[in-house]
Amino acid sequence: MSDIRHFDVGVDIGGTFTDFVIRNRSSGALRLHKALTTPDDPSRSVIEGVRHLLGEENIVGANINVVVHGTTLITNALIERRGATTALITTEGHRDVLEIGTELRYDSYDLGMDKPDPLVPRPLRFGVRERLDHQGNVLTTLDEGDLSRISAELQEANVASVAVCYLHSFRNNVHEQRTREIIESNLPHVSVSLSSDVAPEIREYQRASTTVANAYVKPLSGRYLKRLEEALQSLGYASELFLMLSSGGISRAEVAAQYPIQLLESGPAGGVLFASFLGKLTNREELVSFDMGGTTAKMAFVAAGTPMLARSFEVARVSRFRLGSGLPVQIPVIEMIEIGAGGGSIAHKDSLGLLKVGPRSAGASPGPASYGFGGEEPTVTDANVVLGYLAPRSFLGGEMRLDVEAARRAIERGIAEPLQMDTISAARGIFDVVNENMVSATKVHMAEKARDPRRASLVAFGGAGPVHAHAIANALDMREVICPLRAGVASALGFLTAPIAFDFARSMTSSFSDLDTDELNTVFSEMENRGATLLSDAGIAPSDVRHERSADMHYIGQGHDVEVPLPSGDFTPENLSDVAERFHASYAKLYGQAHPNVAIEFVTCRVTSSGPDSDLRLPELEAGQKQPSSEALLGTRQVYFAPDGFVDTRIVNRYALRTGNVLVGPAVVEERESTVVIPPSMAGHVDAFGNLVLTRKVDGGPT
Amino acid sequence: MNAWPNDKAAKAIDPVTLEIQWNRLITIMNETDTTLVRTSFSTIVGEGRDFACILVDENGHALSQSTFSSTGFTVMLPRAVRGILEQIPKETLRDGDILLTNDPWLGAGHLPDVIVVKPVFREDTIVAFIATAAHVADIGGRIGYFESRDIFEEGLQIPPCKLVEGGRLNDVVMSIIDRNVRVPDQVIGDLHAIIAAENVGAKRLLEFMDDYNLSTLRDLASEIHSRSEAAMRAAIRAMPDGEWSSSVTTDGYVKPVTIAARVKIDGDSILLDFTGTSPETYEGAINCTLNATLGDCLTALHSTFAPTIPNNEGLFRPVEVIAPEGCILNCRRGVPVRGRSVTSVHSHEAIYAVMAALAPERAQAGSGTFWGIMVNGRDQDGRWVNASLLPNGGKGALHNKDGLATVAFPTNHTITSTEIFENRVPVRMAAKELITDSGGAGRYRGGMGQKLTLISQSDSELSITIRPNNVRFAAPGLLGGHDGPLGHWTLNGAEIEGNHRLLDIKHGDELTCYLPGGGGFYPPEARDRAAVKRDLEEGRISAEAAVRVYKYEH
Repeated sequence: MSDIRHFDVGVDIGGTFTDFVIRNRSSGALRLHKALTTPDDPSRSVIEGVRHLLGEENIVGANINVVVHGTTLITNALIERRGATTALITTEGHRDVLEIGTELRYDSYDLGMDKPDPLVPRPLRFGVRERLDHQGNVLTTLDEGDLSRISAELQEANVASVAVCYLHSFRNNVHEQRTREIIESNLPHVSVSLSSDVAPEIREYQRASTTVANAYVKPLSGRYLKRLEEALQSLGYASELFLMLSSGGISRAEVAAQYPIQLLESGPAGGVLFASFLGKLTNREELVSFDMGGTTAKMAFVAAGTPMLARSFEVARVSRFRLGSGLPVQIPVIEMIEIGAGGGSIAHKDSLGLLKVGPRSAGASPGPASYGFGGEEPTVTDANVVLGYLAPRSFLGGEMRLDVEAARRAIERGIAEPLQMDTISAARGIFDVVNENMVSATKVHMAEKARDPRRASLVAFGGAGPVHAHAIANALDMREVICPLRAGVASALGFLTAPIAFDFARSMTSSFSDLDTDELNTVFSEMENRGATLLSDAGIAPSDVRHERSADMHYIGQGHDVEVPLPSGDFTPENLSDVAERFHASYAKLYGQAHPNVAIEFVTCRVTSSGPDSDLRLPELEAGQKQPSSEALLGTRQVYFAPDGFVDTRIVNRYALRTGNVLVGPAVVEERESTVVIPPSMAGHVDAFGNLVLTRKVDGGPT
Repeated sequence: MNAWPNDKAAKAIDPVTLEIQWNRLITIMNETDTTLVRTSFSTIVGEGRDFACILVDENGHALSQSTFSSTGFTVMLPRAVRGILEQIPKETLRDGDILLTNDPWLGAGHLPDVIVVKPVFREDTIVAFIATAAHVADIGGRIGYFESRDIFEEGLQIPPCKLVEGGRLNDVVMSIIDRNVRVPDQVIGDLHAIIAAENVGAKRLLEFMDDYNLSTLRDLASEIHSRSEAAMRAAIRAMPDGEWSSSVTTDGYVKPVTIAARVKIDGDSILLDFTGTSPETYEGAINCTLNATLGDCLTALHSTFAPTIPNNEGLFRPVEVIAPEGCILNCRRGVPVRGRSVTSVHSHEAIYAVMAALAPERAQAGSGTFWGIMVNGRDQDGRWVNASLLPNGGKGALHNKDGLATVAFPTNHTITSTEIFENRVPVRMAAKELITDSGGAGRYRGGMGQKLTLISQSDSELSITIRPNNVRFAAPGLLGGHDGPLGHWTLNGAEIEGNHRLLDIKHGDELTCYLPGGGGFYPPEARDRAAVKRDLEEGRISAEAAVRVYKYEH
């Protein structure tokens, strides 16, 4: 059976396009495909695309080994509020936990600041008599009579999904488990999400918010995944569907359907995985993945081929991109910063007479002025057209013409005239401001991780990434810029690099000196056993299973945790001092100074259980001379570079480049979905895999 | 030191460069803020965010601050920097010095708020100051917000001094603090966290200046201040000229306190005159130093006239504030001030009452405001443990929307998680939920308040300090909107008379606080019927209130 299943497929559903990659496992050959997303039923575009690829490869569904899928469905359902009618059951006296929230205003000065409406309206929030203390001891036993009454109300209100979040349930899930039994027996068609299952971590608001978000999207995602799996089976696909998770691991559809909240941001996660994969492939120790599209830019730091993980995330922000204005979810997520800076970001003069860019975006409709779809406000893309970075004729492989005059007019009216600047300075100003927004966010992000951008390479993709990458890398004094080939389907490719993996967390707050090593060992082995079972269910051999442990700890009194990697094996009262040492060392690395005399508090145990890494290889590109072939040169045009102004610049066809080719800046390299800009201060060379690597001329790079 | 430099002498900066550089100054302070939150040791800083980080120019004027800085502090901090420098002249400072004070008159209005200031040197010259104000977990003195009769009962007073001198920690100052506070690990830990955070901020500021090859921030400061001032003046100019008066009466302590405000708009400048306000008092620690008063009333003007402009002191150049010395909004040295915010958080209500009449879209009805709850006790080993909660009532309604439930206003801070709180102190939070009919009625309803029930689980006695608000005088409604209801509180079910108290509670004792909602805007009869119906269905108003107050017919 396995010998005929020699193709892997990655599918990424985005807002506009669905991207496909099919990979021949024996030859390593890759084939790419892009199709318009079908928003009414996204599974349709997936099936049509897979069928198209099967035809191209001249194979049948039974030849596919795995399909790995990522989707924006979950994120969109939360943003557009298209989820199920959901109820929340909490400890009596705490039913408004979602609405009370953090009590912080994310905007200190806007009297009219809005908060996101809770996903559960007040009449569907129920308190139940039950109580645990902070160590998980039962103070009040669960009142099952309350639950019978609530079940009747749930039925009356046509509730499709229920979230349960009791105080301290992460220490003891007995009441939540029993609640599930009762609801399921009373209402067999209602789906139940338990906080002790979805996000067993301390802080009741964040845990409830996560559990509710999970419950809200669970019926919808369950239906979607089932439909998609059936459709794939109808093509002859015999294996299971696998889903890309926000953590960078992949999971079986059956498990993902239980925890759909972990599917948030799977597309962007795939992009970071692809960058990580490239880093490993080409021996780069540290890199920053930089994905700039139409609306946002996303940066992520990667060390030793592994992205960093954050343990929480905020989704569906009501005030765009403002921290604190969204719904918090406590899930493992590849740590990314997202900024409202993309090709469609609109530039304007603010009330202080300053040039601002974004976060408002012209999106795809009306789009930038240069698209000629009726957009009149100046965007980043328009600035890039006026500065000569984007070619009017060859945008999207020539399928779309850009209107230079419309771009110029929009910038003149929107920026140059109000700010009394000339049009070129205004365009350059837009370029600089949007870059600075990305640079400063990256700086803060790197500083928080105690990392130095100067040691890192910038991996640029997304439509606008390679246009802006050189400026970002220069501002951050980074080593080099890597512009990968196939950047247009980076996320789908990234899906094929991910191992099957499951993340587990369990809070067990305790002062370190009172830590019960038996309980600790039990918690870790329970999580690892669960991981091993799930991986075995997914067909992973026990010898290929890896468990990585870590724990969140802080000094007593502190509210924020440091995640510390822990060794495997049993903990004993004797070897706990080693754990303390690891904490002090991690703390000192992050904040400069440890406090060895202050007591430590232990908060949360974590395990990542994963299968083997993928064996994806990238096909190598044919070798060429140092000098690109003559057909690579498309001509020259005037392109603006500070401080020189407009200079005569070579325009190069990316697809005619070969390994070993060197391009000395200034040059503009055009490909179907993006454009690489090489300034006069830099040079690019093409590596074995077709990546275009830009370095500064003075750094001893190629000249 | 206090004088503003001549903006005309400064070199103009183009709008692109200014946008980029100004953003960087905010980014730097956000990074300083993040470092402090992550390394702090107390619930009040780390969980409650009762602190601010701000960048002050070489003349002592505020330039930028972290996004989530507690608002009042951001007004008080630059003034504190200028006050400290009058006592420790700039010329005597050297690289590696960090200054400290908790003087309520120079600083943030009460002793638990410590001010820590780091001069940033570039080639032997001070180019800026990084300043932090943070509410530490304890500062000694008696437990309780209001009972002290003078400043000396309120704890340790630290005059301006060097906490760090040339990079070396001042052990004498540290050990004095260590001996005078109940939870030295938390307080000393937070001071270390502040020092570390300011060092990060200073490093980033110097990197920024390197990036742009700046030897001073003078030109940048001048642009930021003058553009902000111009925007503020333009907004004031859009208002009619004239003079208006209003007053609000607030809980006070033994006696109620009246805040009288005269607002005068003259072209593009505005005068706030608090003449006629109640005198300072020795009966209760509710006196505001001038800094504390300015903290809340300047923030209110910023929100009214220039909400989208990042905070800096240029905004306040068109504003003059008069508060006669000896009144409760400008108290003299010696009077007790610990619970000053019970007074100062109301000053904006007098201002917004005037604004509502002139331009309803620039006003907000009164808010339920925060209550302070601090639990002090001893653990099994006899060591002090404490945790604080700053729960909030509802926010006042606006001319076009309901007030938000349970959100900080006019202050800004987060609530400590119930699970974290229960891990810190032997108290069970039996309830924390919204209260029906707690929002002031109106066409736009005031935000809902909340009920908190705390039950002691401790074998030994616990001291709970409660600082309630709006229990005698309600959050005012505007233009026909009803006032919010009154807050109240009970011990084992019995109403507690009076408004502020230090309670010793035993195992099983049950304390419940009912934090009121905000005031409404416009008369409730005018409320959209669908909105009344929804409120009724959602239990936000009672059936009785729907009929009686909103004249709702089913």
